[in-house]
Amino acid sequence: MLLGVALIVFFISHVLSPDPALLWAGPRARPETIRAVAAAYHLNDPLPAQLYYYFQGLVTGNFGLDPQTGRPIMSEILFYAPNTLELVLASMVIIIVLGVGLGYLSGMRFGTKVDSAIRLFYLTTWSTPYYLGAVVAILAFASYIPLFPSGGNGGVGFSVAPTTGVFVLDALLQANWLAVESGIDHLILPATTLALLSFGIVPRIMRSSILDTRWSTHVKAARARGLGEGEVRRKHILRNALIDTTTVIATTFGWLFSGTIIVEQIFAWPGIGQFSYSAIISVNYPVLVACVFVFTLGVIVANFLADIIYPLLDPRITLGEGG
Amino acid sequence: MSTESKRLRRLLMSNTLSMFGLVTVAVFVVLALLEVLTFGRLTPYDPYAPNFAAANLPPSLTHFFGTDFEGRDIFSQVIAALPVDMGISIAVVVVSALVGIALGTLAGYFRGAFDEVIMRLTDMFLAFPQIIMSLAIAATLGPSLLNVSLSLIVVWWPSYVRLVRGAVLAVTAEDYVSVSKALNSSFQYIVRKDALPNVLPSVLVYATTDIGSAMLTLSTLGYLNVGIPPAMPELGKMVSSVTYNLYLYPSQVVIPALVVMVMVAGFSFLGEGLRESLDVKLRPHIRIRGRVLGRIAGGQPEQESDLPPATV
Repeated sequence: MLLGVALIVFFISHVLSPDPALLWAGPRARPETIRAVAAAYHLNDPLPAQLYYYFQGLVTGNFGLDPQTGRPIMSEILFYAPNTLELVLASMVIIIVLGVGLGYLSGMRFGTKVDSAIRLFYLTTWSTPYYLGAVVAILAFASYIPLFPSGGNGGVGFSVAPTTGVFVLDALLQANWLAVESGIDHLILPATTLALLSFGIVPRIMRSSILDTRWSTHVKAARARGLGEGEVRRKHILRNALIDTTTVIATTFGWLFSGTIIVEQIFAWPGIGQFSYSAIISVNYPVLVACVFVFTLGVIVANFLADIIYPLLDPRITLGEGG
Repeated sequence: MSTESKRLRRLLMSNTLSMFGLVTVAVFVVLALLEVLTFGRLTPYDPYAPNFAAANLPPSLTHFFGTDFEGRDIFSQVIAALPVDMGISIAVVVVSALVGIALGTLAGYFRGAFDEVIMRLTDMFLAFPQIIMSLAIAATLGPSLLNVSLSLIVVWWPSYVRLVRGAVLAVTAEDYVSVSKALNSSFQYIVRKDALPNVLPSVLVYATTDIGSAMLTLSTLGYLNVGIPPAMPELGKMVSSVTYNLYLYPSQVVIPALVVMVMVAGFSFLGEGLRESLDVKLRPHIRIRGRVLGRIAGGQPEQESDLPPATV
């Protein structure tokens, strides 16, 4: 799987382009710079040799040097990645709580006003482009009603030693309460924005699996056996509906990562999303390729985690049955 | 059949969500078509001619959406961008659906090694976050209409393969298809008579919502200034060209973005409404003006449900 993904990235970055060296050096590079870049990144070698260097780089975690800052791309990614992780995980918590909750409510109140209102809400937020949502959030809650800061991750002005790289966590570990407060204050608006704009599919699938389950025969059977309504809902409807929803929550990571490019840029959040945005704007191709790889890795890990969670929810699935 | 279609129409009409979607989609499609058919004469002003005397005007009766920093009419720019956004999104979804139907049918019907290879490939492509993959491809290929469509299609086809393959697998497992196979029906005959009629409705429903997603991703590429040629009007690109003016002139930023949102919402509301109306399992539980659907169209009275009567 990972191998295939790496091959696809290789194909895009080395084979697809008519002149990769030009792409890697940037559009306004002088011919001698292009030649130097081609030599430095082995772009003149035959494809199998390029493939060898590419995999050698991946395995050793070496994406080469950032042509604009001169630092290793890997160390830049290690600096930005924890911030993105902080933002994405905070959004994920909001998505799971809100998505599962609203989907459950909507499904159980099928056909009522509550159902329509919830559907309208999640379909609308889902249809909102990230750039609109982020801009409106800043205008509304940072400019017109100044509740939250409009940008940054709150780390400016605090000397918190980076142990994990996640600012809020570092501040907590060092019991720097002012820094914790600043970090959380800066986190709320971008995390909520990112979550609301990406979460639409979670309540949607939750709702439809609730609808699939609640009139099914096994729920009828459970009621017929005399189980209490609460127990029927918890153990037979909710738990069943959560199985499909887990898959979808894992795929939501893909949308979240895509969303970080826009949301981090608008909120000036120092993460991979903003890093890749600046790479796009400044035509920094090696960095862009590295970012694509990191994002994809994130999605694969998320799907892997979902695979681990399934057996906990569904007793019919067991791990290691050659699936 | 006629009762069935009458019932379906009744369902769709009663569903506010899908009616809103249908009207919105119709309005925007008509606007985009008119703009193309009149060779861009639908716009009240020249969308590209700067008029610095009228720069940064707020929305008014002469300029519906106001003007931007060069005095260009934003309403005209939006109209000029509609065919691009609408056209690329629809093209991307149609091509992806066709690829998906072709590969998915083959994989689901023949199974075996072919199926295995196709599904492995599909899984790999699905692992990439949507915007990020098309971003990388569009940045690699350089800006052009064809390239940006290609970059989206590469990301879009896998979910259709998965959808179609699953449906074909389910159909070919039915007894009547096994009987048909035993009677020596050809592959083409089974696909045409058994598989496709079962697969197409769900593809159609999925595609309707999906046009909205394609539009979102396309306009995000535009916002990032990737893939769309410099001279081409595109809604996301319009937004990013004025974002630096956000605090001074928020309407310049918000209005084109809102147009994207309303279009996407139109497609997703329509798709969602269609999906629910076609779902046979929900039929007994849907009530229109307090009455069970089955009775309205003169069908059999449906079984009782444990729901309070409600309007959909």
